[in-house]
Amino acid sequence: MKKRIAALVTAGVLALSMLTGCGSKQESWKVTCPWAPSGVAAMVSQKAAAKSPDYSDNKITLVAEAVKGDAATVNTWVSSTKANDKELVFAGEGLFAITETLDPAKLQFSYDDFEFVENLYSSVFVLSADSSLNLKNLDDLEAYVKAGNPVSVAVNGATGSEAFLAAALFGSMGAGDQLKLTPYQSAAEAAQAVAKGETNFAVSHQSQILETYQQGGVDVVCAFDDKAIENGPFAGVEGVGSKGYPYFRNRCFVMARKGTDAAKVAELKELYDKILADDEMVEWLNDTMLLEVDTMTEDDVKAHIENVKSIVEQYKDIVAG
Amino acid sequence: MGLFDFIGPASGLLFTLENIIWINLGVFIGCVFAAIPGLSVILCIILFLPVTYTMRAIPGMMFLLGIYCAGGYGGSVSAILINTPGTPHAAATMLDGYPLSKMGRTKAALKIALYASTFGGIFSALVLLFLGPQVAKISAQLGTAEYFMVCLFGMTIIAGVSGKSLVKGIIAACLGLLISCVGADPMTSYDRFTFGIPRLYLGLDLAVTLIGLFALVEIIGKAELKRNELNLHAGKIGNDDGKITKDEYKRMFRPVLMGSIIGSCVGIVPGTGASEASWFSYNTAKNLSKHPEEFGHGSVEGVAAAESANNAVCGATLIPLLTLGIPGDGCVAIMLSALMINGLNPGLSLFTTDGAIMYAIMLGLILVNIFMFLQGKYLTSLFAKVVSIPQQILTPIIVIFCFAGAYSVNSSYFDLSVALVFGVMAWFMRKLELPAVPVLLGMVLGNMTETNFRRALLISDGSPKIFFSSVYCWIFIALIVVVIIGILRGKMKETKNAKVEQ
Repeated sequence: MKKRIAALVTAGVLALSMLTGCGSKQESWKVTCPWAPSGVAAMVSQKAAAKSPDYSDNKITLVAEAVKGDAATVNTWVSSTKANDKELVFAGEGLFAITETLDPAKLQFSYDDFEFVENLYSSVFVLSADSSLNLKNLDDLEAYVKAGNPVSVAVNGATGSEAFLAAALFGSMGAGDQLKLTPYQSAAEAAQAVAKGETNFAVSHQSQILETYQQGGVDVVCAFDDKAIENGPFAGVEGVGSKGYPYFRNRCFVMARKGTDAAKVAELKELYDKILADDEMVEWLNDTMLLEVDTMTEDDVKAHIENVKSIVEQYKDIVAG
Repeated sequence: MGLFDFIGPASGLLFTLENIIWINLGVFIGCVFAAIPGLSVILCIILFLPVTYTMRAIPGMMFLLGIYCAGGYGGSVSAILINTPGTPHAAATMLDGYPLSKMGRTKAALKIALYASTFGGIFSALVLLFLGPQVAKISAQLGTAEYFMVCLFGMTIIAGVSGKSLVKGIIAACLGLLISCVGADPMTSYDRFTFGIPRLYLGLDLAVTLIGLFALVEIIGKAELKRNELNLHAGKIGNDDGKITKDEYKRMFRPVLMGSIIGSCVGIVPGTGASEASWFSYNTAKNLSKHPEEFGHGSVEGVAAAESANNAVCGATLIPLLTLGIPGDGCVAIMLSALMINGLNPGLSLFTTDGAIMYAIMLGLILVNIFMFLQGKYLTSLFAKVVSIPQQILTPIIVIFCFAGAYSVNSSYFDLSVALVFGVMAWFMRKLELPAVPVLLGMVLGNMTETNFRRALLISDGSPKIFFSSVYCWIFIALIVVVIIGILRGKMKETKNAKVEQ
């Protein structure tokens, strides 16, 4: 008798689970975020996914997933998908400009294998300095470099965006030979390295250096942007672009598989645009994550990649030897 | 304002029915996930993180802390029952937990693990509550050179887990170190030993290799046994009343206390973790024990030392997170994102702006450990019944769980082959009498040792003086020297005894 009841319950559960998929018009799109599962991109992806049911008129729900590893490797795994598969991936300048230039053999795909959906955010990286150096702005930094002082910079990963921003800044100051890049395994570790005195400088997201800055361990010298930071705890910090130094913002592109219906891509873009215009989302991005909403077109994306590529070409000898 | 100013409002925020339900749910889920080989605690936290998006900060954190702490204990269940650690940090528990179980003392082993885990968890929660900001400032001073010294000290554990032959232990550890080199070079990002296989770019996952090294090798080993040799173990279950004697409680006290202190110290240092802590603690307990010969053969001290340490790490990893905004390990890094999604940016400044929330989380950790103890106490009998399942039923279930666990780590069939390759490799090692535990130790410490060694030399422009540059380095050098002298003395004593016996 017990066996019969168990068999009936099992069959019932199976039938119910099959029926749950019927009649629903809602689509779930899996969004795979590479890099660190607790990193900036993963957090924004999670927040966007949590917001998606409010804006998709019950058609599309985003499901955030984080896979640890660099974008070249992680996206290789998900690129086994076909057009119109309900999967989105993240990619940034690191993949399409840096890896493509330094280690093209590692890339199992190119930009042409994807359809651009939207840019999730823009992050203006900052250069922080050991507070004992007393460097408050770009003039102080230029004087420091000119005096032939050592320039060691903590960066997240050996050949990431942070490494190239440091190489571009100090390289264009003529201090490429003085520059020593020290790679750490996370942005948080790199940010801490300056406060510990292991390096003189660090390049990081603003949110990752905030606590160390507030505790007085570092000074924030400049931002990797064209003009000064306008809002937040680092408002007024000079942009390197104002003095003619090369820079780029860190961006996170949401991509679908090449060949996905244009109407579906447009629908996904519309969903992301609505989420990124949500007051709570904007406030959270600005105040907690210290990021900016920066929706883009495909032309903007291509221009961004080209800009980074030119910087990588120019300074790759400093970073990769 | 300090703890006593916030204790009232923090208690008001914490002691709600909602929080208690979430804690218990988290504890149960964490325990089940950690008990299944391959399903790691971090995977569980990642899977259940979206559940916390719509929750407020405290219930969300309580749920995740429940998973995290119970995961520390849950890993010991499969280590004791089936000689396969559910999580990498339960590997040291396996060394004595499984022999205890084989001696027909499964319930007692599970109870020891639970008591030690609870003690370690509450100890570190109290450290977090009373000493958090102070110890965080000290740990923030530890740099790359000090981290390397910690790793080097960790390497001395190899002697303790090498079994009969130190040379074979060292060979096995070198194999582990070699395996840890697979993947992207941590300092240059160029690939090593990947043979053009994209899935190896990220290296080999510890959870997957563990399944091969300890679980599949057991299954292969069973295939060699005759039918009448299979059920020896299950026959002893009837004698298991789960009783721990007064003398055993007495013997447990010192390793549990020592393990809790070691776990708290290791957990405070970002980048280290429960695996390192449990090995340090196990080795220390063995060195200080009056019965070192029992270690590896079912020592209650061994189980107690390893379990108290790996659970003490849980509270301690929250210290750098809540006070400096630095996540101590992967699980805590995910919890950081749960806080940030709620608009809370952890750090000392948060103690001023949202002190009640911060102290509620700290107090909540004590509550989590209490509920872990209560759930564990009632689940112990249930878990213990697993060993009474006939081998012809249990073995296929273990195989299915092993492969499902290996697949779930990266949702990849490739990982199934990795687990299988490691299973076969472990079988050959067994035939050659090479111990498997040093391989695991090499893999746990390999990447961290190499990265910190190379980075330290990069910082110092190649000068080895950096490894002697701080008082912390000298403390670790002294510890390493003491341990090596102890090992050599022990080996000389063993040789002398062997000669006398002959």
